[in-house]
Amino acid sequence: MKKFLATLLALVMVLSLAACGGDKGGETTPPPADTGSTDAQTPPAGSGDKIDISVIAAEYGQNTKEWWAGFQNDFNGSHDGINLNVEVVSWNDIYTVVNTRISNNDAPDILNIDVFADYVADDLLLPAQDYVSDETYAKFYDAFLEQSNIDGTIWAIPDLASARAMYYNKGILEAAGAEVPTTWDELKDVCAKIKAYDSSIYPWGIDMTTDEGQAAFAYYIWNNGSDFTDASGNWTLNADANVEAIEYAISLVKDGYTNSDPATETRYALQDLFGAGKLAMVIGPNSIPTYIADNYAKANTPEEEQIDFAFAAIPTNGGNASVSAGVMDRFMCFDNGHSDEKLEAIKEFFDFFYEDTRYSDWVLMEGFLPATSAGGEIVAASDPDMAPWVDIVGSCKFYPTAKAEWANVKQGVINVEQQALMGGNVQELLDELQAEIEAEAAG
Amino acid sequence: MSTKTPAAPAASQELARKAPRSSKSKKFFRKVEPYIWIAPSIILMAIFIVTPIVKVFQLSMSKVTRAGLVKGYNNFENFSKVLKSPTFALVLKNTIVWTIAVVVISTVLGFMLALVLNNKFRGRKVARAIVVFPWATTLVIQASAWNFIINKDYGTLNTLLMKIGLISAPVNWTPTPGAYFAWEIACGIFVTIPFVTFCVLSGLQSIDASYYEAATVDGAGYFQKLFSITLPLVKSSLTVATVLNIIYVFNSFPIIWTMTKGDPANHTDTLVTYLYKLAFYNGKQGEASAVSVIGFLILLVCASVYMIYTLRKGDDDL
Repeated sequence: MKKFLATLLALVMVLSLAACGGDKGGETTPPPADTGSTDAQTPPAGSGDKIDISVIAAEYGQNTKEWWAGFQNDFNGSHDGINLNVEVVSWNDIYTVVNTRISNNDAPDILNIDVFADYVADDLLLPAQDYVSDETYAKFYDAFLEQSNIDGTIWAIPDLASARAMYYNKGILEAAGAEVPTTWDELKDVCAKIKAYDSSIYPWGIDMTTDEGQAAFAYYIWNNGSDFTDASGNWTLNADANVEAIEYAISLVKDGYTNSDPATETRYALQDLFGAGKLAMVIGPNSIPTYIADNYAKANTPEEEQIDFAFAAIPTNGGNASVSAGVMDRFMCFDNGHSDEKLEAIKEFFDFFYEDTRYSDWVLMEGFLPATSAGGEIVAASDPDMAPWVDIVGSCKFYPTAKAEWANVKQGVINVEQQALMGGNVQELLDELQAEIEAEAAG
Repeated sequence: MSTKTPAAPAASQELARKAPRSSKSKKFFRKVEPYIWIAPSIILMAIFIVTPIVKVFQLSMSKVTRAGLVKGYNNFENFSKVLKSPTFALVLKNTIVWTIAVVVISTVLGFMLALVLNNKFRGRKVARAIVVFPWATTLVIQASAWNFIINKDYGTLNTLLMKIGLISAPVNWTPTPGAYFAWEIACGIFVTIPFVTFCVLSGLQSIDASYYEAATVDGAGYFQKLFSITLPLVKSSLTVATVLNIIYVFNSFPIIWTMTKGDPANHTDTLVTYLYKLAFYNGKQGEASAVSVIGFLILLVCASVYMIYTLRKGDDDL
């Protein structure tokens, strides 16, 4: 009897395992387990003849999941014929999740992420004007839409942006007898003064890590009047001005004016040092005040230990105008063979999302900047601290993410910076990278 | 009792008639039974081990787009690209240094710790529990804690040394990539020691005390007993621990990823962190799979050498 029971038990286990691995008969595959992904809300069972729209959205911060859950409820509540399902995925996992879904022919209908050129290269996306109503399309800043232009077609629409500026600790600069620097020469002078005032304070913060080393590259080359590409879109990574810019950045490190280990200290480590009053100046995003305030609140930092800071334009060289670096994320729509009704439903989704009040709520939710002019006005009116940022973001430069080689350029420039930190020759390193990227571009 | 006795012969006769059939089915069941018991494991292994391995081999010989689409086989192009890259040689060297340093040092220290914990002393149970802690904590947390300890600006090591007056200003404990790698190795050793300790400890506890008593009577010293009794008798536990360690440490990802992400310029990357970057930062999944296959083959060779060695040893013993 015992043996019979044991056999039965084993059989049940085997069958249950087989069932776990089985196909679900063409149903939509559930999100991969253990990827940190979470449905904003489980879709109602048996959606009947409703049109299903699946969205994968990036998790920007602690409020994103809740915001999307509310959005999904509101949208489904006001659109009887549509069943929207939003899956919010952390930035750590989103690329893996999306690539896995694509390779299993299960791409989402709408994706919210930063990159898009790789999907265009594989003919996976629809042009933006196929799934965005004219009214909504007209709301975006032109400069933002242009960032998603490949061969004359706009493939994605911006969902939000952030911009960078130089933050400085007022108290330290004052005590060191220094003015806010506007040029590279002034920056070195200020650094020297701060160092002389208190050698335990780092005058300048640099992040050249795998996380965001490309941002440092951009800050220095853009503010030296140069760029990643020329006007025709050809890569110009080893341009003289770029070499000069990176050599200048490295010289700041070698002169002892920066944090001790730019290759491993991320932007967040620098923001912490800045908030703790150990770093005098750092280039960072518009979200820094929120970040520092949150940290003070968490640590119950007494007011007298909190720093007094402000932001200014990033210092430049050679009389060039200061350029702020913008980072922009996007929505894109996968070409899953949508019917006309479905495309209309997707248009309704975007109309609903970019409705001015709802959109400004989305942007303010995690302290970002809007990508539409109407959203900009609302955000600027509702938060006076954000007003100057709304102006900055309308005119800042972006990474050339529309170019297919960008992923390699991004890792390549980080590698160049890190090699240069270890004593490598910037000119030689950039020449090598340029040759490598040109070879890739040539196919 | 007496009422039951007449029934007994009848029952045994019936049993005797049924015996040939039931013993046949019993025999069959006994043959099949082990397979039924191991079936769930085999199915699990097929799903979660064999399938991914086959998939990785396929990908390593395929052209994979950045978006993850497989566009047919490209023979060994991914392998040739990986092997031609100067970074690969650096990363392979790092992997070998990382594996050997962590495994050898943690084995020596773990063995010594096991010897200590095998002695009877007050609070032995507590001491054994403390040794388990590093093992029971997530590696990411461990690595973050180590990063926090050695940080120049707010690290506890500098704070401690300054408080006791050994240093007057914070010291940068990671001035070079080599120094950072050494700290990662130290962290690796710290988290590996408990595993070795417990493997060796289980071996030590199975040694009969009479061997030591006899050796003591014969006048053997501590080291004579250690090398002539203890070591030969815990050798099998130690070997198992070492082989498993080589595989775990070679494939370890969290420590290096949390502490340096392989920076600067791949100088602290091992094969696993390098292939992760290739796949998810550079979008080169084909090349990442090729690196994975190379790692797999290296481990396969190591495991085969070990198996051949131990099998031969077993034959000799017979």
